[in-house]
Amino acid sequence: MIVADRKSISEIRDMIKGHDRVLLVGCGTCVTVCLAGGEREVGILGSAVRMSLKLIGRGHVVVDECVIERQCEDAFIDALAIRGVEYDAICSLGCGAGVQALAERFPDKAVYPGLNTQFIGILENQGVWAEKCAACGACRLGEFAAVCPITRCAKRLFNGPCGGSRQGKCEITADRDCAWQLIYDRAKALGILDKFEAVAGLQDWSTSTDGGPRKVVREDQCIASLE
Amino acid sequence: MNDNPVILAFCCHYCAYAAADLAGSMRLQYPANVRVLKLPCTGKVEVNYILAAFERGADGVFIAGCLEGGCHYLEGNLRARRRVERAKKILQEIGLEPERLEMYNLSSAEGPRFAQIATEMTERIAALPPSPLRPDRATVEKNVQEMAAAAQAAVAGDNR
Amino acid sequence: MEATSADHVAVTVDGRTSQVRAGTTILDAARQMGIAIPTLCHYRGLNPYGACRVCVVEVETPRGPRQVASCSYPLDAPTVVHTDTDAVRQSRQTVLELLLAQAPDSTELQTLAAEMGVKATAFEKAPKGKCVLCGLCVRVCNELMGRGAINMFGRGAPRKVQTAFGEPSDQCQACGACAVVCPTGAIDLAAITARHIQPHITRYDQYLTARPSIDMAHPQAAPRVPSIDRENCLHFRTGECGLCKEVCQAGAIDYDQQETTRDLTVGAVVLTPGFEAFDATRRGEFGYGFARNVVTNVQFERLLSASGPTAGHVQRPSDGKAPRKLAFIQCVGSRDTGCDNEYCSSVCCMAATKEAIQAKEHEPDLDVTIFFLDLRAFGKDFDRYCERAKNQLGVRYVRSFISRTYEMPETKNLALTYLDANMKRTTEEFDMVVLSLGLEPSATLQQQAERLKVALNRWGFAQTTELDPLTTSRPGVFVGGTFQEPKDIPETVMQATAAAAKAMTLLARSRGSAVKVKKYPLERDVTDEPARIGVFICHCGSNIASVVDVAAVVKAASALPNVVLAEHNTYTCADDTQDRLKDKIDEYRLNRVVIASCTPRTHEPIFRDTLRDAGLNQYLVEMANIRDQCSWVHSGDPVKATAKAIDRVRMSVGRAARLVPLAEETIPVKNSALVIGGGVAGMTAALALADQGFPVELVEKSDVLGGTARQIHTTLDGADVQAYLARAIERVGKHPRIKLHLNSHVAKVEGGIGDFTSHLVTGEQTAEITHGVAVLATGALEAKPTTYGYGQSPSVLTQVELSERLAAGTLDIPAGATIAMIQCVEQRTAERPYCSRVCCTQAVKNALELRRKYPQARVVVLYRDMRTYGFREAAYRQAREAGVLFVRYEADAPPQVALNGQSIRVSITEPALGRAMDLQVDLLALAAPMVPRADRKELSDLLRVPLNADGFFLEAHVKLRPVDFASEGLFLAGTVHAPKFLTETISQANAVAARAAAILSRKRMPVSGQIAWVDPEKCISCMTCVHVCPYGAPKVGTDNKAEVQSAVCMGCGNCTAECPAKALSLRHCIDVQVLGAIGGLLTPDAAARGFEPVYPEQVGVARPKWHAAPAPETQHER
Repeated sequence: MIVADRKSISEIRDMIKGHDRVLLVGCGTCVTVCLAGGEREVGILGSAVRMSLKLIGRGHVVVDECVIERQCEDAFIDALAIRGVEYDAICSLGCGAGVQALAERFPDKAVYPGLNTQFIGILENQGVWAEKCAACGACRLGEFAAVCPITRCAKRLFNGPCGGSRQGKCEITADRDCAWQLIYDRAKALGILDKFEAVAGLQDWSTSTDGGPRKVVREDQCIASLE
Repeated sequence: MNDNPVILAFCCHYCAYAAADLAGSMRLQYPANVRVLKLPCTGKVEVNYILAAFERGADGVFIAGCLEGGCHYLEGNLRARRRVERAKKILQEIGLEPERLEMYNLSSAEGPRFAQIATEMTERIAALPPSPLRPDRATVEKNVQEMAAAAQAAVAGDNR
Repeated sequence: MEATSADHVAVTVDGRTSQVRAGTTILDAARQMGIAIPTLCHYRGLNPYGACRVCVVEVETPRGPRQVASCSYPLDAPTVVHTDTDAVRQSRQTVLELLLAQAPDSTELQTLAAEMGVKATAFEKAPKGKCVLCGLCVRVCNELMGRGAINMFGRGAPRKVQTAFGEPSDQCQACGACAVVCPTGAIDLAAITARHIQPHITRYDQYLTARPSIDMAHPQAAPRVPSIDRENCLHFRTGECGLCKEVCQAGAIDYDQQETTRDLTVGAVVLTPGFEAFDATRRGEFGYGFARNVVTNVQFERLLSASGPTAGHVQRPSDGKAPRKLAFIQCVGSRDTGCDNEYCSSVCCMAATKEAIQAKEHEPDLDVTIFFLDLRAFGKDFDRYCERAKNQLGVRYVRSFISRTYEMPETKNLALTYLDANMKRTTEEFDMVVLSLGLEPSATLQQQAERLKVALNRWGFAQTTELDPLTTSRPGVFVGGTFQEPKDIPETVMQATAAAAKAMTLLARSRGSAVKVKKYPLERDVTDEPARIGVFICHCGSNIASVVDVAAVVKAASALPNVVLAEHNTYTCADDTQDRLKDKIDEYRLNRVVIASCTPRTHEPIFRDTLRDAGLNQYLVEMANIRDQCSWVHSGDPVKATAKAIDRVRMSVGRAARLVPLAEETIPVKNSALVIGGGVAGMTAALALADQGFPVELVEKSDVLGGTARQIHTTLDGADVQAYLARAIERVGKHPRIKLHLNSHVAKVEGGIGDFTSHLVTGEQTAEITHGVAVLATGALEAKPTTYGYGQSPSVLTQVELSERLAAGTLDIPAGATIAMIQCVEQRTAERPYCSRVCCTQAVKNALELRRKYPQARVVVLYRDMRTYGFREAAYRQAREAGVLFVRYEADAPPQVALNGQSIRVSITEPALGRAMDLQVDLLALAAPMVPRADRKELSDLLRVPLNADGFFLEAHVKLRPVDFASEGLFLAGTVHAPKFLTETISQANAVAARAAAILSRKRMPVSGQIAWVDPEKCISCMTCVHVCPYGAPKVGTDNKAEVQSAVCMGCGNCTAECPAKALSLRHCIDVQVLGAIGGLLTPDAAARGFEPVYPEQVGVARPKWHAAPAPETQHER
């Protein structure tokens, strides 16, 4: 799941300050689950932004709220289009993909991000999310007992541990589990410790963002290109 | 200074509301600025409700629940406290005094404490300027009258 | 409008017309209509006098307006009255100015004048005086009291109220009625009466303050009805007065009520007469009764109470000052053979600690000392509580018995002499002393016991046995609470509930036979109707109407959207008004009702019932509390109180317009119980339930029933536990309704109250069973110590092992042997900070047994506090008399044990001696702690119920719900809850049976309408609700969307306030209703425009969810 958190209200207010009719658009998937951009948060932001604008003397600005099923799908965005014409700016409470999808669908409107998209992760405790995947494009979890050293080791060591961990906790951030301790524990439980005697190979970073804009193509789905 | 602030109080059914009733039975006198809204538990107080009250022009809001550890629904008041903390941060961020919002805990036997809270909160809010978000009361009243007239005209033939 | 009849006349007051009985005064007519007219000299119940002229009003006559005194103007023809014209106001102001000049010293009068806009008087003021000669005092004394102790003397300016010859009057009975009725505070009773003025210091508030002769028993009394104290009421004493009857407009005063005797035929009797506090004057050496700063702990409890005489401030009775040094003296009338109270009262150590903590919380600088003998903090988490008092709050505990108090004549302080920690005699002064009184059996029952044929024990408590603590000597008569033995609240609740189970076993066949079912008309379907609200404003007699301008509230309410009817009534809850309400619902086709009156906490059920009677769904009524939270608390400010009442009504109307009818679901109840654990707790619960007629599945992990009790051979009172166990096991085996599963465990429990489904694993087999409730009774066990040489020598045993060996007769004790017992082994320590409750008594029991069997042997018990609470204290005394030596040690200097082959050497420092002693010991018994079982964590996860820090299961409420889990339908009994005696386990298991039967006896169970509900279209399966709910009500359903199990949901709304997709809503408290109330208060104009969301229609894709409540401002612009 994509994990995000909300920008500060003042930042959002300053982005939309120049507009008179603003629509806050939430997204009903990942960012709702991580309590950043669902109906509740859109409502809270709406109230806060309206009050904030009024307090700086821009009470006439209309700030409305809505949530769509999924911002990364045109069909759902289409549902906005009817009401969308009433607004001259849109503030998206979706991930970065959602913001851009809205921008593409509404070329004549200003579109702003309301969230900071953080990472791919999961809920650790109620209210706490932890990063689990860096979307590197070349997954090697199979080599590391299904614990990702890229996202979970502070030093991104492929050949760990570094030797600094204490009582299973990372020496950089003491409240974090040492990824290599986790890898070791799991590997031991699975009886595959011997796999770690060999040196782990280099990571091919060309599939990650370092390799430029990425695209995934499923040719069997692309009948249009046959023509 | 605000000589007649409007303060909304979200009170839980089992403790705060009962304490407010007890203050009545004991005929304790406190300022008449507090308007109580009863909820089953302060854990039902949503951040959205708190903000909605301020957005509509409440001068102050307080949430009163059971004593910590004594919530009828186990931990609702602890959740409420967290939400109040969050809402205070939002108020701070948008430039509205966070002290307009407060969380209190009291037991159902503490009538005097309720009176004290109401007094304390009224004094606190009275020392602040009226909420800059407050709609003009006179306009509101006028609108109500107009709408009532219109509505009554509309249903006049429908009444009996 | 009511029909005009011959004896009625029409009166129009300020434009409103009403019919009143001919002869009614204008003042009374106006009051009936809710229109307030100020007056000084009028008092309901006294004849009109027309003295003050403040109540002046204008009456229209053919010759133009005429001003009359409304209190003495009877209506006998149709009349038009104006109470609020400029001329009237001016007249009243002039009258007040004159009165102010006459009584310049009366602050009451000044306040009234200020309210009416008169700040000063233009007339020449009298030099002094408070009296305005309204004559109320004289009239009340003559007309009602029949005394005539005072009268008006003189004419003209010197006229005044006085007694005969101005001398103190013998006629005066010092009743104080004159002072009560005087509107200007002019009466000085001491100058009138020749008698001694004595306030009614009554038992209420423990003789600390005076109270009226008519009052509530206490602020939270149930029923909330005042009663007359006949012993002090003047009317009952002299036949005079009767003022309350005149004043009460509801006509609720009835002097003729008599005590009635009724004969009842019943199948069982439960005795719960409770206890009485020891009479502190019997121990005169403590000074109670003459040293004013010596109070009882019951009095001190009142002083700490926020609703008590000092509003929760601790004050010395002698001078009202806050004490700086406070002492508690424990065991006053307990553990005291001198007054025949040999037993321990069980609760006072903790009560004193609680009072000390509360006093410290009020006054952090207060210095509190508790003088005690043994600190008996034996209950669940009690030791932790005392440690907190000691270490965090600085409460000082001194182990020394105080023999008397000396009152200092000047300061009224009390000097106490005690032995300090170094065993030095010390005298210290305290500002205030609290006596911790013992608990004595109810005196009223002492005389009745014989008639009831119920045997009492030697202290006057009901005679019971340890293995049947619920049954008295007479079959069918059961006992609950402190009448059986002094005990704390949780044990009282448990035992009383258990007594109910015993009674229900006898009554099982006639269960439900006396139930009457009320019939209601069919409910009207209002779903498609726009809201039509009726608003009813209650005067509550004068409770509301004397402060709040009810007419103004009605006017404001009628202007609100959706309101089609607004009116005010004298008592909305009265039967005739209820009927009127039903008529109005019909007449105006109301579909929502707002009642502005008292608190919904007491009256909502009444109005809900009214709606049901009128064919409306009961959730369509909304109450605005304008009495308890308005008129009563703002009586000094009618203007603001009225504004507040209007606001409250607006909130209620805002909410009511959006109320929706709710169905109260019922769910079918499976009438069987699952009992986990086959020890005494489990078997007792199973038998008690089966005897009441419910099928029971009893699951035991091992291959045998009996649990820990198999190791216990006798009780303290000498009963044979094994024989008892054998009987119980046999009964369980033979009972047609108990299905026993040995060698089994429960693997999965799903569902909720009334409808659980569980997996039962026996060997390889898994069976699915359904049940309505589940009982956890898996017990605890004695830990094996790791210290004091346990396991290294055959001569070191635990207390349980010692008792087993004693029973089996396999002990080899040589003559002249020394047997030592060490108490508190590996418990009450930092690692295991709780007390196992039973070990002190176990030690006493074993010591007595040893002395009996081996009289030549010496028995020494090394202890920290002997916690032989209740009647166990007698055995402790018996042991001392039998020559058992009790030697105390301090926690920081525990005994040392050295093993050397066969010999055991125990060294100990006795604090009183201050030096070490060595004992050569032949047998050492250790009081090992009672510890929770290893599988507690799995059970906790299985049932989703919490454990406390010590690993025992946590009940729903430590005091009030000691056998329930917070999740409905789950119960616990026995040592799985906390260490306890067999007798307490038996009580608790029976209590479980009573609580469980209350569920199982129903065919279907109603579920409140106010529960959470998931909109599956909006749910995104994020699990937030599952994480938030402490009761486990939401679960992921078959379509991977959350669903709320309605029977489990408690209706708190916590999940609904967290759901990020707003898919959850709490019925009867949904967003539009809450926002409707907020909007009704702050922006009633915007609220009126409706909250209907606008959905753009799109086919095939989910529609965007537009927010329901846009800002008021944006709404204005659209």
